[in-house]
Amino acid sequence: MEASVIGIGWVTGAGFGWGRQGGACVFSDLPLPPLARKDVFPEPNQRFGRMSEYSKLGLAAVAFALRDAGLEAWSAKRAIGVVAATKLGCLTTDLDYHQTVLLQGGGLASPNLFAYTLANCFLGDAAIQFGLTGSSVAINEEREGVDALRVALEDLAMGEAETMLAGICDLAVPEQYRGSVELLPGAAFLVLTATAEADNSYGSVRLTQDGGVFFNGSGVGSLVELVQMALAGRQV
Amino acid sequence: MSGANTERANEPMREVCISAAQAVTGLGPDLESLWRGVLAGESAIRPLERFATGRYLSANASWIAGLDCNDGCSGIYPLLERLFDNFGPVPADAALLTASTKGCVDVMEALNGGNAGDPRQVPMAATLAWISNRFGLASPGLNINAACASSTIAVARAASLIAAGRSEAVLVVCMDLVSEFVFSGFSALQALSPELCRPFDRNRNGLTLGEGGAALLIMSRERARREGRPELGLIAGWGAANDATHITAPARDACGLIQSVRQALKRAAIGPESIAAISAHGTATPYNDQMELTAFRALFGERPLPMNSIKGSIGHTLGAAGGIEIALGLKCLEQRVLPATVGMLEPEEAGDGFLHKTAQPIQGSYLLSTNSGFGGVNAALILKRGED
Repeated sequence: MEASVIGIGWVTGAGFGWGRQGGACVFSDLPLPPLARKDVFPEPNQRFGRMSEYSKLGLAAVAFALRDAGLEAWSAKRAIGVVAATKLGCLTTDLDYHQTVLLQGGGLASPNLFAYTLANCFLGDAAIQFGLTGSSVAINEEREGVDALRVALEDLAMGEAETMLAGICDLAVPEQYRGSVELLPGAAFLVLTATAEADNSYGSVRLTQDGGVFFNGSGVGSLVELVQMALAGRQV
Repeated sequence: MSGANTERANEPMREVCISAAQAVTGLGPDLESLWRGVLAGESAIRPLERFATGRYLSANASWIAGLDCNDGCSGIYPLLERLFDNFGPVPADAALLTASTKGCVDVMEALNGGNAGDPRQVPMAATLAWISNRFGLASPGLNINAACASSTIAVARAASLIAAGRSEAVLVVCMDLVSEFVFSGFSALQALSPELCRPFDRNRNGLTLGEGGAALLIMSRERARREGRPELGLIAGWGAANDATHITAPARDACGLIQSVRQALKRAAIGPESIAAISAHGTATPYNDQMELTAFRALFGERPLPMNSIKGSIGHTLGAAGGIEIALGLKCLEQRVLPATVGMLEPEEAGDGFLHKTAQPIQGSYLLSTNSGFGGVNAALILKRGED
């Protein structure tokens, strides 16, 4: 089961970008950059400002990956699927929303915040923004994004889609949850296509029968590792 | 599929069967009590006692006694204990998939409200580890979060893994609780019915929440036969698609649901005329139910085809909904009966031929089960009756 990596996008504490723009994708414990609409979209986008920080983070990384793959612009909806691995999902949004519930016995609960209290909501934003009609799911896993790659590759192999995005997305761990989970905040997405010899490929990713992931023949332990291997071999 | 890597093109797909199914709902601690209750037209929806509802649109939900968050321990675990009590053995090599939208949200509520709780319980990883340990599974598992289609997509993924020969067996566990967190949110969105929900009724005015869980052991048919396990039914087809239209509302033209069902029919290698019954999502919100009727009319035309929703009996159980409905769908196919929709007093005119006030016979072998949710997700699954 093989696919070509044709796009890479990321947002980390060290900055944001996409593969062919140059720059490195470095996950660290630095605070994530505040994302403004103009950082992500050249055109006005009324919805972006209303999104939760979690959704902005994920949507930005998806946008950069699609831009890198030459798939950002569209005129007809496309059967592209998305798999996003996350450890805490939208917990930060949940905490913000729940604060509005605690006021006046729930009488002031915010419908706008509630709409963003699902881990998959930014995938809906991405589907709307980029016309993606494939299956879109968030997954909780403990394999540093390898399961997102695995699920995306399986979908490609089963013919569920011809192009898939696979990525990771997490905000920093909220203060009261420090120590309960280990993660480096940020988001990174890869665009994978089943087309065997894509012209714009960074290389080939392969899933073995036992669930192992290899990039250009080398074993991969995390999605970020795959991103860094792909970027190391790019021609900007 | 143009790529050279499509396994489906090169190898025959394996048949996928469900060899064990269990459910815990407001109607009772097992699938049998759910079946009996739904068939009898009962509803578990009643006034909530878990939290104060005075500031919300509704006071009602289908809830299960004994699932309160006590001393910071989530109600998810007593729910799972009840679910697994009568479930039977699970092969140690089974992969684990869970489906939940909010998992141990009650612990998050407790902590955020200044009460006791262990923050390590909040990430889904804790629940996955608990289930994996409970059955001695080698698989650490992963949780699928696709809003109210989480279960259906988890079952579809299990079927896909088995059909492609990547797994022999998959345990799918679906769960969600009634929490003030979610209850207040749907109330704020004006989506809760002040009374009992009325799916596909022309006067429907919103959903009623519920809680529950389902467990399904999904296996290759060959292995299930080899091990002498029951064959409750086959998973013949599946599909999933995004509307790409709105975050909290379905596409009015039903494009995502139609695409999902067409994928499922194609996978099952059957035409729409083979579908003998539909277990619809049927949340009782005006937009959802209208969207579903639009989809089914486009797919199935004017021919009479029994359809129901069980949300009037057990409420909308969110990420668990699809799993519970699939478990019940197996009973429907076995008994060749589709129960009536509890709460539907005056069927929506657009549902003529689909909607009935009484239970209907199922004259065929295939049942379509569908779910849709926030984020534009849609999913469809086609169950085939098991062999007698």
